Amino acid sequence: MDWGILGQQILNGLTIGSMYALIALGYTMVYGILQLINFAHGEVFMIGSFLGLGTLALLDAAHVNLPIPLALLVAFVVAMAGAALLGMAIERVAYRPLRASPRLALLITALGLSIVLQNAVMLIVGTEDRTYPEAYTEALIDGFDIGAIHISYQQIFTLGLALVLMTLLTILVQKTRMGKAMRATAQDPMTAGLMGIEANRVIAYTFAIGSALAAAGGILFGLTYSINFFIGYQAGLKAFIAAVLGGIGNIPGAMVGGLVLGVVEALGAGYVSGTWKDVIAFGILVVVLIFRPSGLLGERVAEKV
Amino acid sequence: MRQFIAAILATVTSVSLAVPVLAADAIKIGVASPITGALAKMGADIRNGAELAVQEANARGGVLGKKVELVVGDDKGDPREGITVANKLVQSGVVGVVGHLNSGISIPTSKEVYAPAKVTMISPASTNPELTQRGLKNVFRTIGRDDQQGKDAAEYAMKAGFKTVVVLHNKNAYGQGLAEVFKANFERLGGKVLMLDGIQTGDKDFTPVLTRVRAKGPDLVFFGGEYQDGGLLVGQARKVGLKAPFMGGDGLFDPLFIKLAGKKASEGAIVTFPPFDRAGSFATTYKAKYGSEPGAYSGYSYDAARVLLDAVKRAGKADRAAVMAQVSRTKGFKGVTGTITFNGQGDQPGFKFGIWKVQSGNFELVK
Repeated sequence: MDWGILGQQILNGLTIGSMYALIALGYTMVYGILQLINFAHGEVFMIGSFLGLGTLALLDAAHVNLPIPLALLVAFVVAMAGAALLGMAIERVAYRPLRASPRLALLITALGLSIVLQNAVMLIVGTEDRTYPEAYTEALIDGFDIGAIHISYQQIFTLGLALVLMTLLTILVQKTRMGKAMRATAQDPMTAGLMGIEANRVIAYTFAIGSALAAAGGILFGLTYSINFFIGYQAGLKAFIAAVLGGIGNIPGAMVGGLVLGVVEALGAGYVSGTWKDVIAFGILVVVLIFRPSGLLGERVAEKV
Repeated sequence: MRQFIAAILATVTSVSLAVPVLAADAIKIGVASPITGALAKMGADIRNGAELAVQEANARGGVLGKKVELVVGDDKGDPREGITVANKLVQSGVVGVVGHLNSGISIPTSKEVYAPAKVTMISPASTNPELTQRGLKNVFRTIGRDDQQGKDAAEYAMKAGFKTVVVLHNKNAYGQGLAEVFKANFERLGGKVLMLDGIQTGDKDFTPVLTRVRAKGPDLVFFGGEYQDGGLLVGQARKVGLKAPFMGGDGLFDPLFIKLAGKKASEGAIVTFPPFDRAGSFATTYKAKYGSEPGAYSGYSYDAARVLLDAVKRAGKADRAAVMAQVSRTKGFKGVTGTITFNGQGDQPGFKFGIWKVQSGNFELVK
């Protein structure tokens, strides 16, 4: 056993896993409140990634010579805000009118919306793979060695930012008034309503936060890999698995689920074969659904009488 | 309401009556490639090449005095879609088809769909040897074969002093086929293959498999597959500290390969691709029309469409069987990718692959 290689693989897994986790949070938060699997969420991630790319490209085109960290900050703010608006719009247009309908109607709407968004982006930006401007990717590509483990700055950036965003989310949900309202609505929407919590506002807010996190994941993804109109499909599915793995509806569960899925995938691809990555990911989904449907950390199921 | 139905019926009847007349008016050829999905860029490059050939033919007054119509099929890079699209093209009345991109699609469609309908298929991109080895009279290709390409690549790698290699591929008929030919030739020449593994095409994170490659410590990494995956592989190799140079086949030959990998990481990557004149008039016209340089297969698809139209001209009629017979007699056709002559099985004997290297962000022919 080569420990250096093992360490490298775990680091590889944590990097992609933290992106899964950022997307998975949106799935799990929406599920927690609406019991809806928002399959259009993967597309929000994809659009967030394109918004980030567009912002950086615009800054370059306008010769606004911001230092790299500042330009990245602008890209994150624009993409996260844009995605938040998109998430709220999706909820307002596609889900709110159907909220009283059977769950199946919502699910199908979500799938349909996902296809609409995917194809809309395809028509706007085309089909080819795009990369973030080289100035940004090259700034992050190098790194240093600790023993046999090569750590790139990009990996540190990804993990660090994901950690910061997850901490902020935890504080928001646990400590703020809106967080309390979200938790109350998730537990029992009717009672929460009777206590004067406006469900529509809470739900819109939840979509906004989940979408903003997905957009942040999208920029991290774009800085690391290449993006096209199709990335939301696979990343969305993986994040969905991560959410189920951690226990859908459970916020820390989505974080843990994302990281675990990333690491397991990396170990599978690294020690078994690169072709087994998806088999392993979807295998996990099946096993979890059979043996522990409530996920690793469990779902907070409110008994409805 | 009754009038409305009558109107619809009248329209339907007139349309169905009009079809044979239309078919006689225009000569239809098809182009089939993945216009959507993970390979959409390459698919569009192929469609553009054929489109350009058709437009030029029409600008010169058409073929046999008739307008040429291009019917575009999107196979999505999926063999099942490929069969569906091939059937649609056959039903639309095409005399021949330029396509498909993937060997894994060209192989079944040519036999199951095109052959029974006597529709000629000229692939601009499918390099898997099996395609032309099944005794089918309707199958041709303007590109070379992977047994040649893999051999040329292995010989160059050996001469360049690489002794050990890790071979990766994307599991499809093209990538895996090429990877295996390379492996067999490299071993035959005395080289050592340390590892052979597949990747999932369309995946974005290849760091796990690259870390495993790094642990093997090869002199060279050979990748059988297309540039989307190849570009990311080369770019991410640096992130896990893998420094061995990369080598690959025609599927990597695209400016986007360098863009995806990054200028620094792609420097020195070796790609086998037929030598061609990139400053020629085809590249200029293409760029003027589509705003980007021709893709890897654009020239091959342009030539395939022109070979097909030339055969129609020589046949003197848009008859499928006659066109097929004329395509097989193509000899010394001056294409933008070289002089095209088909042998009895639809291949071009003497097709040569060159060795290209990425140097300061461009592919340069080195041999």
